[in-house]
Amino acid sequence: MSATAVVVRSDVRSARASAARRPVAYGAAALATLVAVWWLATAIPGLVPTRVLPSPVDVVVRFGALIAEPFSGATLFGHALVSLQRWSIGVLAAIGLGVPLGIALAWLPPLRAVVTPAFELLRYIPPFAWVPIAVLWFGATTTTQAAIVFIAAFPACIINTQLAVSQVDSILVRAARTLGAGAATTLRRVVLPVAAPTVFTGLRIAFGNGWMALVGAELIVGKQGLGFLISQGQINDSAATILVGMTTIGVLGALIDVVLQRLQRVALPWRPASAKPLE
Amino acid sequence: MAAAAASNAASPPAIAKMELRGVSKTFHARGGETRALEPCDLAIAKGEFVTVVGPSGCGKSTLMMIAAGLEAPSAGEILVDGRPAGPAGPSRTVVFQRFALFPSETVAENIAFGLRVARTERAEIERRVAEQLALMGLERFAGAYPHELSGGMQQRVAIARALAVRPDILLMDEPFGALDAQTRTVLQEEVSRLQRELHYTVLFITHSVEEAVYLSDRVVVMSRGPGRIKREIAVPRDARWRGLEIEAAGNDASFLAAKREIWELIRDEIVRQ
Amino acid sequence: MAATASARWFDAAPGADRTLPFWRREPGRAQWLAIAFASLAAMLFAWFALTRPDGLISPLFLPPPSEVWEAFVRLLKRPYLGSTLGQHVGASLGIVLGGWLLAGAVGLPLGIAMGWWPKVRWLAFPIFQILRPVPPLAWIPLAILWLGIGDSARIFVVFIAAIVPWVMNSMQAVDSIDGLLVRAAMTLGASDRQILTRVVCRTALPTLVAGARIALGNAWTTLVAAELLAATAGLGYIALNASRTLEIGILLVAMAIIGVLGALFSIGMQLLTRLVAPWSRAGSSA
Repeated sequence: MSATAVVVRSDVRSARASAARRPVAYGAAALATLVAVWWLATAIPGLVPTRVLPSPVDVVVRFGALIAEPFSGATLFGHALVSLQRWSIGVLAAIGLGVPLGIALAWLPPLRAVVTPAFELLRYIPPFAWVPIAVLWFGATTTTQAAIVFIAAFPACIINTQLAVSQVDSILVRAARTLGAGAATTLRRVVLPVAAPTVFTGLRIAFGNGWMALVGAELIVGKQGLGFLISQGQINDSAATILVGMTTIGVLGALIDVVLQRLQRVALPWRPASAKPLE
Repeated sequence: MAAAAASNAASPPAIAKMELRGVSKTFHARGGETRALEPCDLAIAKGEFVTVVGPSGCGKSTLMMIAAGLEAPSAGEILVDGRPAGPAGPSRTVVFQRFALFPSETVAENIAFGLRVARTERAEIERRVAEQLALMGLERFAGAYPHELSGGMQQRVAIARALAVRPDILLMDEPFGALDAQTRTVLQEEVSRLQRELHYTVLFITHSVEEAVYLSDRVVVMSRGPGRIKREIAVPRDARWRGLEIEAAGNDASFLAAKREIWELIRDEIVRQ
Repeated sequence: MAATASARWFDAAPGADRTLPFWRREPGRAQWLAIAFASLAAMLFAWFALTRPDGLISPLFLPPPSEVWEAFVRLLKRPYLGSTLGQHVGASLGIVLGGWLLAGAVGLPLGIAMGWWPKVRWLAFPIFQILRPVPPLAWIPLAILWLGIGDSARIFVVFIAAIVPWVMNSMQAVDSIDGLLVRAAMTLGASDRQILTRVVCRTALPTLVAGARIALGNAWTTLVAAELLAATAGLGYIALNASRTLEIGILLVAMAIIGVLGALFSIGMQLLTRLVAPWSRAGSSA
């Protein structure tokens, strides 16, 4: 190999490395600029009133305050915990009902005809449109919040599960039949393991939908939780509180998704969606 | 009813292991009806290896699906040991072209599947799995998952799985169609060896005439779609080329003659469009 | 195991696997309609039967059909909370369409720019990635603080809800265009701008419309919630007040109209997709 060839190769390598760094550099620069503009805007006295837009420093200070002392009933962690609790109940109910129902719909075609009228009637009513009637039925309690989470998460659970199960290669089901397997065995050992990764992805979507809906429900009703926190922030004219709350909501939502992705990789290691074998 | 005329006829079996009587199939779709199979009669004796060949679209795969109980015939009946065959089950296991191994189970678990369904006792399951692993040369791969194996190995597992339950009849639907030529040859020779040792009852589907002659006791030729049985040709068990590799068998005159006879029948169907 | 040769009109679907028991067979058209109809009839019957005066369900929980019908008629005839039904619907529609179109006006060009020029993407994408996990509704308190309880706060929140799908889908639409088409256009002498407008936008149209559809869905969902918090007219406002005054019939009618409008939006967008790109599947997102 000639010396020029070696030089060219290392050039290409370093060029590629710096090319990969460029988007990160731009992104970081963009965010840094925004924060800088923000800080500057609030640093100039009189330009922007504090109640409308607090400075970044104010927000951080407020964050610390909310962790240490209760505000409107609980500290930041307290509110977050309550939100997470309600969310958990709602999504667990959605999974508990949605996954078996999704499997049943995929396995028993006539059942789809039974369920479709009700489903079509209800699916276009957004979860929040259920809040007033949920309050009437359950009062201003955790059940109401959990119910809204359930309504938001349920469709994704059932539809994605049904899709996942029906997409399992039918040749596997036929092979199981020729070996004498009944419905229960086929579902348990053949269909569900193959469908599981796709079901899990659907559940992740449902969990995200549930979290978004919870926040809205807590804005409208309730005495605790992150949604309640930011609405109290608005009532008390504290934009800093609102921003802290919004950030926490966003961070928790993203965290939930990341945790679920990790969980998926750990719990379901075999090759996903590969009902068709390799050549 | 199509007559099953045989040239070089083997003597008809006493009670056939499996019999298809007057089996036909019409598919109904939105646009109308498609006749896939004209009424067919086919009898397979115990220990006999029967291959069905025919031009593309002649309905041979449909015939197999009906024989397996995975497809309902529009008319006719399927008998096993003289009695009506029940629903699809381990008395008629199938080896599919696309392997159909269960991806979340290991090779050993796949092979044991039918036995576990039948609630066979532990010791017997282990014995039979070990037997199949040895038979198909899979001992080293017992704990592997299907996606880790090559196509040829996966098909061996599929065959092992189908044989582990000791079916009355083994059905094979173009089992080597998805494999490369070399793997194909190796597996053909292996199946031929197994058949000579163990005398399974087999219904085999293929579009390769050479494969049909090499493996079978009887070759059934179907007409083009909607298919009916055109002719049955017996292939003597004691022919000189039996036991040779395909390469060597291909030089034998009687082998070539049989090939040519069958191929002429098929070509006749293709040309007659 | 032989089946009859001819297909009866009330039978399983043409391609159904007849070796399976009937509860596992795909129903034919007539069967499907019969089952669905029976299911619907059963639900209606249950509604009637259970909400009778001596029935199991109290009218405060679920009013009988007659009460709901009366509420509907009443809303049609007389103004409720200061506006007629038409005015309420108009208020809701105005906000949702306004916010949605505004988000499109900003998001569509921005998304296309992000898909076309890497530098724009590197600058703008991180900002959206940070904004995305925050639910649009969480912006309501801030919006109220900044803009007060009025139309602008709601339009703002709807805008936020709609802009993310507009931007992300537009960016992806441009992204997924086969580079080959672009290079072919270049060899034919097209300028950058021409390529952008004529090749890229046209091929990316189905994905762009899909983004618009998702954005509209988000916008509608968010509007309903916004009206529950900061409104003086609109369907959500009706629902909220009806729940407070225990006029459950009106509440249900409002929910039904919300659902119907949502369905009309969805169908409308599907028709638009078929018009603009007949070859693409109009699937619904869960």
